[in-house]
Amino acid sequence: MIKKKFIVLMSVAIAACLTFSACSTGKNSSKSKENDTSKVTLDYWVCWSPGSDTEKNSKAMFAKYESEHPNVKIKYSLITYDMAHDKLVTAASAKNTPDMSWALPEWIGEFNNMGMLSDLTDYYNKSELKSAIYPNVMDTMTVKDKVIGLPYQLTIRALLVHKSLTDAAGINNIPATFEDMLKLGDIYKKTEKYPFGFCATSVRTPQELIGYLASNGLEIATEMKDGKYKNTWKDDPAQLAKAAEVFQYYKDLTKKGIVSPNTKAWGWEDEDTNFATGQYMMEVTGNWMSERETTNPKEMSDVAITAPPYKEIPATYMETNPTFIYTSTEHPKEAFDFAAFISGKEYQQAVFPVTSPRTDVVSDVKWSKDFMNIAKTGISFPPVTLGGITTAMTDSLGKTLQNNEEPSTVAAWLSDEINESLKQSGEYSEK
Amino acid sequence: MLLKGKTNKNNSIKHMKLTRTQREKVTALLLVLPALVFLIGLIAYPLIQVLFDGFQFKNLVNVNVSGFAGLDNFKEVILNEHFFKALKNTIIWTVFSVLGEYILGMFTAILLNQKVKGIGIFRVLVIIPWLVPIIVAGMTWSWMLNPDYGIVNFLMIKTGIIETAIYWLGEQNTALFTIVIVNIWRSFPFFTISILAALQAIPFDISEAASIDGAGIISRFFKITLPQLKSVSIALITIHVIWTAINFDFIWIMTQGGPYYSTETLPLMIYRYAMKEYNIGAASALASMIMMVMTVIFVFYYAQKSKMESND
Repeated sequence: MIKKKFIVLMSVAIAACLTFSACSTGKNSSKSKENDTSKVTLDYWVCWSPGSDTEKNSKAMFAKYESEHPNVKIKYSLITYDMAHDKLVTAASAKNTPDMSWALPEWIGEFNNMGMLSDLTDYYNKSELKSAIYPNVMDTMTVKDKVIGLPYQLTIRALLVHKSLTDAAGINNIPATFEDMLKLGDIYKKTEKYPFGFCATSVRTPQELIGYLASNGLEIATEMKDGKYKNTWKDDPAQLAKAAEVFQYYKDLTKKGIVSPNTKAWGWEDEDTNFATGQYMMEVTGNWMSERETTNPKEMSDVAITAPPYKEIPATYMETNPTFIYTSTEHPKEAFDFAAFISGKEYQQAVFPVTSPRTDVVSDVKWSKDFMNIAKTGISFPPVTLGGITTAMTDSLGKTLQNNEEPSTVAAWLSDEINESLKQSGEYSEK
Repeated sequence: MLLKGKTNKNNSIKHMKLTRTQREKVTALLLVLPALVFLIGLIAYPLIQVLFDGFQFKNLVNVNVSGFAGLDNFKEVILNEHFFKALKNTIIWTVFSVLGEYILGMFTAILLNQKVKGIGIFRVLVIIPWLVPIIVAGMTWSWMLNPDYGIVNFLMIKTGIIETAIYWLGEQNTALFTIVIVNIWRSFPFFTISILAALQAIPFDISEAASIDGAGIISRFFKITLPQLKSVSIALITIHVIWTAINFDFIWIMTQGGPYYSTETLPLMIYRYAMKEYNIGAASALASMIMMVMTVIFVFYYAQKSKMESND
């Protein structure tokens, strides 16, 4: 009888142990281990492409850092950008974020509003980075005088041109303005290659659209006197008309056969892969395309780099990718030191030699020099919650290209949607 | 609870002894307890939380948004400009997927039920689409359907079915139809295996007797085989209607609800509310509405099943 009871109780205990062993206890489980050995493990989420030079060089630098800091272990996890955002939001809801991660600048506003990001101002002010990072780059990492991230990569969008294809098509002057681009309507008939391509779906669509809107003197959300934001297009008919001009540009590119009819559904992979394989002549993209020289050496050998076409004033999207350190970290000092190492000269020279946000890491290769030449025209997203805004920006292209709606209607709709999104997130200015 | 025990001088129970049946019940409960805790913690609690949040104002980025919402979240969802389109897409996606899977599953099950040499190999091969991970299947089909270098367009042009390449996943009037076809490809093996198992349980002599009496193949199928498959068919269809209606990952991988919401379904709307707009209240309200509909479907199935069992 007692033996039977003992067997039953042991079975229950084993079943319970097996069940609860599947539950994560987050970082606390490693805390007592760390206390025992004084070793700090930094949980770091990254989004590099598997097999890329970035991965190879980063791993080598991690090993170097660990050898110089024996008490620190870097535990990195590879996640795609698409998944990283949702995983981080979910992790934050469960109060189980990593110590630090790669991120996109579009996430700054919303993650800050969710209280996920550590205030790095004091650490930053005491570090060598203060004099080494481009000031306008650090502006994008600062929200209301609070430094909330350290930049690890800077990319400017430029117009990449397959010179052999444009020369063969008789395009002697690379288009500098919208009007120049719209004159290329007969190129496809002559060459059976489209002159241009753009992104109409996926995360890159709002990044391209914001650049074109800025080139026509427009902001998607303007900071008002009360420190909150508002889209002011509908308050000013001239601004609304300018926004409509940008959507008309997209429509005309499609109608005149300057882009493929399939472009209306292209994501960034379609845009980049089709350019890298020489399917069309020009695209606005970033200097990560330098990696395509390895995968498509023949097609990419003739690429020239210049400023993107503009409407009124030259403008381009500047993307500064931040390393975020999360408020849930138990090792803020160690995390900042490692993040500072990533933004430091040695790491940047080894891993991001052509896309570094540092003033002292500049390369002579075209993928760095030619992009940096247009950096001064770079603009970024405002530091607001962007989820609903970027969705609306992508939808506005869907309305223009898929539904064939009038550009003026689309511009007015987008203005309303941006303001509605700002209201939802509590960032709308009534002023 | 009936207890056996000895009483002492004060008539209190000294030793409480359970009967054998009671001991077995307690043992069973103790053994089931960990799984019960798991179910309550990971399924029941989140479910109740979602139902609760549907009636609350809740936004992850705006802490000022809080309080009882009443039916406001439900109104917001229904008044969303894409709601009825998503509802229509969900119905089309579900009905045509399940119909296609059932017909193709039935057809292949009948073929695999024949006594042919090497039939075992075909039975293994037919399972393959079901085994391929969704992410791999979705991405592979996306590349195969690409208008510039996809194999599907290439073969269709070569065989003269179409003249120019079609952007199957990029056109509003073909995208939904295309992902339904791909979903049928992916899911029909489940129907095949289940129906095949049921077919093998049908006594052969009934069919043989009907054949001797002059019944043709089609007549035998509709009058003998299909009625025998009624129970398993209803179970399969009900399960797949629920699975398909709430499916998110397959559509998200292939089209992300595009082009311009032409493949947007209600589960994708939930995702957008929660992960793009951070509007947990609206996301929970929509999730609750879908759950209610699925519950009705399940209750209907259960009633049908009970009716069939009582008729037997």
